[in-house]
Order: sequence, then C-alpha cells, then structure tokens
Amino acid sequence: MPDTSPDRPSWTEAERLAALRDYEILDTEPERAFDDIVDLVATLFDAPIAVVNLIDEGRQWFKAEKGLGVRETPLETSFCAHAILEADRMVVPDATQDPRFACNPLVTEAPGLRFYAGQLLKSAEGLPLGTLCVLDTKARPEGPTDIQMKALEVLAAQVMTQLNLRRSLKHQQRSQAEFRAIADSMPQMVWSTLPDGFHDYYNARWYEFTGVQDGSTDGEGWNDMFHPDDQERAWARWRHSLETGDPYEIEYRLRRHDGVYCWTLGRAMPVRDEAGRIVRWFGTCTDIDDLKKMDQAKELLSQELSHRIKNIFAVVSALVALSARQYPEAKPFSQALRTRINALARAHEFVRPHSDVSQPLMGDMTLHGFLAALFSPYTDDEGKPRVRISGDDATFDDQAATSVALLFHELATNASKYGALSVSGGHVEVTTKEAEEGDFHLAWRERGGPEVKGVPQTAGFGSSLATLSVEGQLAGKLSRNWNPDGLEVLIELPGTALSRRKAARTLTTS
Amino acid sequence: MPARILIVEDEALVAMELRFVLEDLGYEVVGTAADSAAALKIAKETEVDLALVDIHLSDGPTGVTIGRELAVDHKVAVLFMTANPGMVRNGVVGAIGVLSKPTEERIVQDAVAYALDLRSGAVRNMAPPQLQLFEDGPRA
Repeated sequence: MPDTSPDRPSWTEAERLAALRDYEILDTEPERAFDDIVDLVATLFDAPIAVVNLIDEGRQWFKAEKGLGVRETPLETSFCAHAILEADRMVVPDATQDPRFACNPLVTEAPGLRFYAGQLLKSAEGLPLGTLCVLDTKARPEGPTDIQMKALEVLAAQVMTQLNLRRSLKHQQRSQAEFRAIADSMPQMVWSTLPDGFHDYYNARWYEFTGVQDGSTDGEGWNDMFHPDDQERAWARWRHSLETGDPYEIEYRLRRHDGVYCWTLGRAMPVRDEAGRIVRWFGTCTDIDDLKKMDQAKELLSQELSHRIKNIFAVVSALVALSARQYPEAKPFSQALRTRINALARAHEFVRPHSDVSQPLMGDMTLHGFLAALFSPYTDDEGKPRVRISGDDATFDDQAATSVALLFHELATNASKYGALSVSGGHVEVTTKEAEEGDFHLAWRERGGPEVKGVPQTAGFGSSLATLSVEGQLAGKLSRNWNPDGLEVLIELPGTALSRRKAARTLTTS
Repeated sequence: MPARILIVEDEALVAMELRFVLEDLGYEVVGTAADSAAALKIAKETEVDLALVDIHLSDGPTGVTIGRELAVDHKVAVLFMTANPGMVRNGVVGAIGVLSKPTEERIVQDAVAYALDLRSGAVRNMAPPQLQLFEDGPRA
C-alpha cells in the first residue's frame, strides 16, 4: 500500500534504489561534465566543498566532488540522506544549531561542517536519487542568496539531464542488442533498410544462408542475390513499396551458399514516427522451398489423378460399346449412354484444379467456355455454332459441373433428335443472366425447328435426367414451354448452385 | 486397298473398341501397341498409313516421342488420342492434331477420314470441330 501522508514518502526505498541502479552511474569514473558542475557550484557559493551525491544502500557515492577527496562515505553521517526526505531542497545555515546535525561527527569533529545547501536530484519518474549540494566549514546565518539557490536548482536539473540522456542511450543500446539477439536467433532471415531503401542490416541467418561476406549486400547489393529472372520483379515491387509505404511481399528465388536458388517469401513493413513518416523498413525472408516443392508434388499428383479419372471414363465408355456389340438392338441405347458419359468426362476436364499444362486446349474456364465446348459438335455448314450463347458469364465448380453437363447434354440431344437441331437452318439461343438476389437464370430457346404441337404425350428418360439435374442436384427450378415456334426451357438456379464450395467457404469465414 | 492403321494405346478395352470401330469402317488395323517398343517394332515391320497414339502408355508418357518418330522417321500420319490433351498443347513435329478422350465413333470416323485425306493430298472431308489441329502440323 502506497503511503501518501505528508511525512512519509510515496515511494519505497527498494523502488528508489532500483531507479538509481537503472541509471548505471554508481562506481563509474569521474566525468568532466559533472566535475565542471561541482566546480561551478563551489565558485558560485564561494564554498570549499561541492558534490554530485547519490544515495546508495548504506553509503553515499559521489559522481563528482570538490573539496572532499573521497568518492564515497557512510550514510550515517550524511546530510543528504536527510535532504532526500525533504521536498526539493534543504538548507542548513549552521549545523551546530540544527538538532538533526548538531551531534554529527562531521560537525563536532573534523572537518567541522557548518553550512549545507542541497538541491534534490529526481529521476524522470519523480524518485529522489541524491543531491547536488554545497558545504562550508563556516556557518552562514544569513543563508544562501536567491541567485545562488536558483543556480543550484538549474545546475541540479543539468545533472539530471545528463543522467537521463545517459540512461536513454543505454536503453536504446540495450534494445538494439536485444533486437539483434532475437533477430540472430530467428530461423528467418531479417533485414532492415533506411527510409530510402538502403539496406544496412542483415541478421546472422542471412549470412549463414547466403554465405556472403558481412556487409557485402548492404545498399542495393541484395538484388544480385536473387535469381536473374526474379530481380526485375523484386525491384519493381520494392520501389512500389518505397514510394507508397505499402507492405512489401514477394516470392522469389534466393541464392543459397551452395549456389542453389531456393524459393523464399520476402516481406517487409515500414516503421513510422509520430508524424507518420517512415523512419525504417524491417523485412524478413522465409525459406519456403520445401513448401513449394510440396505444392509441385501435389500438382503432379492431382494431374495424375485427373488423368486416371479421365481414363476410367474412356474405359467405361469402351466397355459399354464393346458390351453392346453383341446386341445390335442395344446400339442406340449404348450410344446414348456413351454420349452422356462423354459429357461427364468433359465436365471433369473443365472444373478440376488446373495448372498451365493441364488447362483445356480451348475456351475459358467459365460457364460460357464450358457450354461452347459442350456444344462444339453442333455447327452449321460454315462451321458456325448452332447453339449461340449470350448473357452474363459465371464461374462454376466441380460439384455443379456434372449437373450442368448432363442438363445441357440432354437438351442438345433432344433438340438434335426432335427439335431445332434436327433440321438444317434451326438453331438454339442460350441466354444466361445474373438475376436479382444473386440468382442465376438460364434460358434455352429453340428457333427454326419443326413446329411444336403441344406438350409431348410421354416424357423420355432424357428429360427426366434434365429435370433431376436442375431440381435435384442444383436446387433450382426447371420449366418447359412448348411454344409452337420452338421449345423454351427456363432454368432458375439459386446463386450458390454454381459454386457450392465457395458459398460454403464464405459462410464459414464470415 | 484399305488404309492401314496402328493403334498405340495401353488400355486394352479402349484399344479393342477402337479396333472394332475402325474395322467396321473398313480400315485394316495392323496392330495395337501398349508401349513405345511395341509401337516402333510394328512401324518397322509393317507399312502404316495412320497411327492413333495415346500419350500415357504402359512405359510412361512416351506417346509424344512415339508420335514424333512415327511421323518424322516413318512418314506415318499421326493423330493423338488422349485424356490429357494439354500435354501436347504446343504441337508435336509432323503430327496432325489431338482428340480428347473419351470421344465418339462419329468423331473418330471424321478425324480418321480427314487425316487419311491429308496424307493422300486430296482433302474431301472437313476436320471435325473436336479435332484440335496443331498450328505447325500438316494442313489441307
């Protein structure tokens, strides 16, 4: 419990001593800056003795002294130990007349002190550390002058300024040493630059990884450490960050000590002052080579898997054809089944994760691209598509792909048997539209085909499959209008139908 | 004389089905090979007009090399048939183009007819739209 009563200090002796020791001044060599101050004080007071006195545990230690000839004395005989209990200053005109000091051996015996004036030395946090004081062997009943006391106050403040500067410098050096210790023990490479991007610091890991000489990558030398193909890109990003203050992030290949380029993630953030000006950049390089290799292995595996899957489609398709060979009456059935299998295989090709190598040869990885590929067999004499696609494009994922593939495969097959694609000159308009509230509308309109004479008596399996794809799999609505000039199929899909995975992800992350 | 066709395909069922389709169309299938050694052996011993070549075979992704050798060294018309057409997106010297597997009889029929036309120098048939022609390959 802090005691705030006027005759008891608000600090404990332990706190005071901790504060004093934090200055790391005790038992240091004399310094000119402090010696000059005690000289000046002695002169101003025309007194033989002046000291910068710090009250340690059991002793008082003098950073600077004039007229004493010793660096420390025991606390028992100290005037200043009393002074630090006083507010800011203490004046004793004649010690023999002061009950606190009359029996003090320094008063009763040599050197026979009489006069004392001390100004408190207070830490920045308000803890008393000691005094700047002046002593005389002659009593001064008239006391010091106002000017003398003012000078003492100013000079005591000067002593504290010196001590505080010293302490700040020490703290800064310590935090720098701590930073270096942390940076050097990190598995990552750490670097730092001036605001203009001049590299002036790298941690031990950088030198260990790259094997270059200390300091050899200072300034702009860092860029040469990266793969020639990455240097220009790295410069461009770095320049951009320097100009804008945007965080820097890049993946590039860093040359290891053995000459091998390793994939590295480079990042940097600016450090700003109170006014928001960038004063420094701190950056790291993280070795992500193993991660990259794992990614590449994953990509290979994914390609291999996808190849297997497509091969299975081909084998199943061949198996169906071979099985049907013995039963000529099953040929139309087997052909219909095979075209459906082929449509699914095509869907798979479009939506699996792709790299540059595995991308389909034709078209974009979007709904329109997919539909264009699916309808590519239907062309007129000039090679122009007979199924014309227009409207808003969309991306879609593997979960939606099989349903979309089956739906449009059935519509196209039906049209080529009975509808607009069964006669030359007929065509189909497919329009896609992003409707309100994120819904997605698709319309299939046949034009120029045979006249439609009402709703057909029986619905084939193909149309059931189309309905099932939309209403069962995609949670949408499918309606057919048997208009005389051609079949119209309207499909309404909820916004999430085309990318269910993405929708699920958005839900879990929001 | 019917055109002589070589099938390079390691999936026996796919190869067999393709053989039946081609034979139904009146072509002579001179052999089916599941790897590069078998394919080149047939090409050395027999006259081949056209080869249908898969890329992933029982000895690895050797189809590209086989296709090039057949086209360049043996003057065979070469069509690739693969589940992964991206593997030959930049074309293969001497080869005509690539069909994506699985495909349909009708497309195989049109593609084969087109390839044989090209070889004979008298193009009567259009290439089916599903056949991706190589940019630097033989053209009509």
